[in-house]
Amino acid sequence: MHITSMFHRFGVAMIAGAVLTAAPALADDETEQFIQSVLDEAEPYLDAPDQETQFDGIRQLVDKYVDMRRVGLFTLGKYARRITPEQKQEYLPLFKEYATGIYQDSLSTYAGEKLKVTTSIDRSTRDIIVNTEIIDAEPGSDLANMVVHWRVYRTRDGDLTIVDVGVDGIWLAIEQLEQFTSIIANNGGPPAGIDALIVDMREQVAE
Amino acid sequence: MTIKIWPLAALLALTAGVAHAQRSDADDAAAFAEELKNDDTSTQDSASKDPWEGFNRKMFAVHNAIDGAMLVPAAKVYRATTHKKQRKGLRNLLANARTPAILINDLLQGEFKRAGETASRFVVNTTIGFGGMGDPAERMGIPQHSEDFGQTLAVWGARPGPYLFVPLFGPSSLRDGFGSVGDITMDPAVWIRTDAAKYLRYSRAGATGLALREPLIEPLQDIEDNSLDYYASIRSFYMQSRKREIANGRTNYDDLPDIGAFEEFDELE
Repeated sequence: MHITSMFHRFGVAMIAGAVLTAAPALADDETEQFIQSVLDEAEPYLDAPDQETQFDGIRQLVDKYVDMRRVGLFTLGKYARRITPEQKQEYLPLFKEYATGIYQDSLSTYAGEKLKVTTSIDRSTRDIIVNTEIIDAEPGSDLANMVVHWRVYRTRDGDLTIVDVGVDGIWLAIEQLEQFTSIIANNGGPPAGIDALIVDMREQVAE
Repeated sequence: MTIKIWPLAALLALTAGVAHAQRSDADDAAAFAEELKNDDTSTQDSASKDPWEGFNRKMFAVHNAIDGAMLVPAAKVYRATTHKKQRKGLRNLLANARTPAILINDLLQGEFKRAGETASRFVVNTTIGFGGMGDPAERMGIPQHSEDFGQTLAVWGARPGPYLFVPLFGPSSLRDGFGSVGDITMDPAVWIRTDAAKYLRYSRAGATGLALREPLIEPLQDIEDNSLDYYASIRSFYMQSRKREIANGRTNYDDLPDIGAFEEFDELE
């Protein structure tokens, strides 16, 4: 009886351990609050009637919260190790301009809507995804049931930065990574392929 | 038999957890650089799933030529001559006509709860929704979901195979291409050999094309305008969204490529 009971308790502990180890989702209050505060800060800009105010506001917030250097290197994928210092000096500012434009276009589609934090998932202690949904979306509309994801990276110093935004499982930086690596590969790989990417990006930013 | 599967599942979950912990704890810069060199940082690397890229890019160009010359102008005329509510009605009607195929696929995937929702939607929308023009089921809290035979094949374990772009049909994979053929056979109108059925099929195909293209006029234009490589953008959007569709809307956060790798990378400079 005694042994069975001990064995039983041991078994329960094992299962609990397994569940805890395997569980991918842990709520992360600090990161959820971070995203909620960014959303609160964005609200007056997104409520603005004119696109200029919206775009200016989004640019300010992107400058403040998005770690463009990290994202810029990430979007080069396996070529991030092959970029020369000169190319990097040209690429990173262009990428920042390009990506800011994408953020402006994407986020201004939520003008007039209110987002609220619903859940968060810790991929690791430094890599956290916060999910948000649109409050009071009209039932049956495209915005109802839509989940906007924010990928947050905690730096070694403990600062929180945004590194990617996604909608319903589709991520912007991943889509950019696939475009950039495709351009680099189709133009003969580095270094020529990276030069080709820089040329394309310069044209796009100039438009 | 079922008893034996449980410990195995637990073991798999456990090893997955351990492997994950090891990866995220790789703080040692040298080890990380090595990992970065060997490992393609993008676990969702679309290019490796596109061995027919040359062919696909040609088909993509053909599609865009047809799209720009015919589909978009037709969709614009459709938008100009109809009211928003009418277009919503047509979308609902076409969606309702697809419900039997969704039901079959729900059942083939063993998703009985979703099959129940699909059947209820069909009954509610066909009756009090005026044959499917309205969507009262949505307001009653039975949301629409989509299924197709490609997704069923995926649930059964078929790998997607190479990416495939077919003009007029859009982005697909070898598996989903086969799936589309399967879906056509699930359509009752295919098996009726009368002229009326034939006209119904053609006009429905045309109407479906318009109804699907019309709401995408601006979004696709935006993607094209913002892209450096439009083909790679569409491929990425397709592959990312397809993964989630097959998982019935459950997003998998584990197989995202690591984005924090570059702190270690910076220290190597």
